Amino acid sequence: MAASAMIEYPGNVPVWVNRDNCKACDICVAVCPAGVLGMRYDSTSTLGAMISVNNPEACIGCNDCELNCPDFAIYVAEKSQFKFAKLTDEAKARQEKIVANNYMSLDLQGVK
Amino acid sequence: MAFNYDKYLRLEKMPTLWCWGCGDGVILKAFVRAVDKLGINQDDICVVSGIGCSGRFSSYVDFNTVHTTHGRTVAFATGIKLMHPDKIVVCVAGDGDALAIGGNHTIHGARRNIDMTLIIINNFIYGLTNSQTSPTTPQGMWSVTQKAGNIDPTFDACALGIAAGASFVARETMLDPKKLEKIFVKAMEHRGFSYLDILSNCHINLGRKNKMISAMDNLNWIDSITMPKKKYDALSPEEQINILPTGILKEDTTAREYCDMYQDIIDVHQGRRKVVTQDDFVKKI
Repeated sequence: MAASAMIEYPGNVPVWVNRDNCKACDICVAVCPAGVLGMRYDSTSTLGAMISVNNPEACIGCNDCELNCPDFAIYVAEKSQFKFAKLTDEAKARQEKIVANNYMSLDLQGVK
Repeated sequence: MAFNYDKYLRLEKMPTLWCWGCGDGVILKAFVRAVDKLGINQDDICVVSGIGCSGRFSSYVDFNTVHTTHGRTVAFATGIKLMHPDKIVVCVAGDGDALAIGGNHTIHGARRNIDMTLIIINNFIYGLTNSQTSPTTPQGMWSVTQKAGNIDPTFDACALGIAAGASFVARETMLDPKKLEKIFVKAMEHRGFSYLDILSNCHINLGRKNKMISAMDNLNWIDSITMPKKKYDALSPEEQINILPTGILKEDTTAREYCDMYQDIIDVHQGRRKVVTQDDFVKKI
């Protein structure tokens, strides 16, 4: 049982994950506008998959993943804590690819 | 540090028992943020919930909470509010809880215009008991009790609330948590019965058999059946049939609140005034 809904800011990252709470529902990956996140198979998690922060440098700090997460599992840093990037066309294209890849990370092509 | 949810949650209950991707969690998060935004003391708010997946809502928030019998959320909350008119009372009910077994309590709570917020988490199915037809299950969808397809016409929950006399009626979806937070703030600030129809997903018990296998499939379907009220009003009546308007559908700040009216009765019995007559009311019939 998790002792806390959220975990301390680990420092120098835009997004961090509480692995005890994540149920691998894909919602955060779907709502991210910049292709920062992706799912990855993980035999140690309850539902067999886990969020993976693949492109932290592209995060724009929009907070959508945190607000849309039903399980208090993903958190976004404050604007004062981290210098967020601007939304680029490259990031948008990557997001489209991730959605087309069934929300899995791009190095895992066609596994789901 | 991001927003501190720990302050408002019962951490020993975490993680939640809801399925992966369940909208209830998003609504819980938006509600907690709204309470924080209003700066309400945790002891000054009471969350009342009934039976169903939505009934677990009260277990996770660290406020005064009551987990009541099926459908009786509004009845219990009315008692709590009359005893403590200075506290904020929030009811959380599912579509089966508020519209089916508790339908009468819902409409009479709305009729009295008592100052409380009723959050109806509408996921179009009885989720906890595994896919029986609820009053909002769309026609033609599969359910355990109607395996050949549901033929029962559906409730428009907001139209019911408006007709029953709730002074604040709004519909929102769990697709946009920022809007959800704003609507919770407005509803809790409003003095009178706030009736919120929050559309949520149940990809496990509704989607599984209705071609919406994942949370995102179900959310995309909800997105396709909703439209902001302004856009909705511009549509022709034929186009409006299969669309639900979102946003604030009714806001009446002039209607008298029930606790105020009840104070008149207390005054009569304590000898501060003679009697309540028809002249005290604008609407006489």
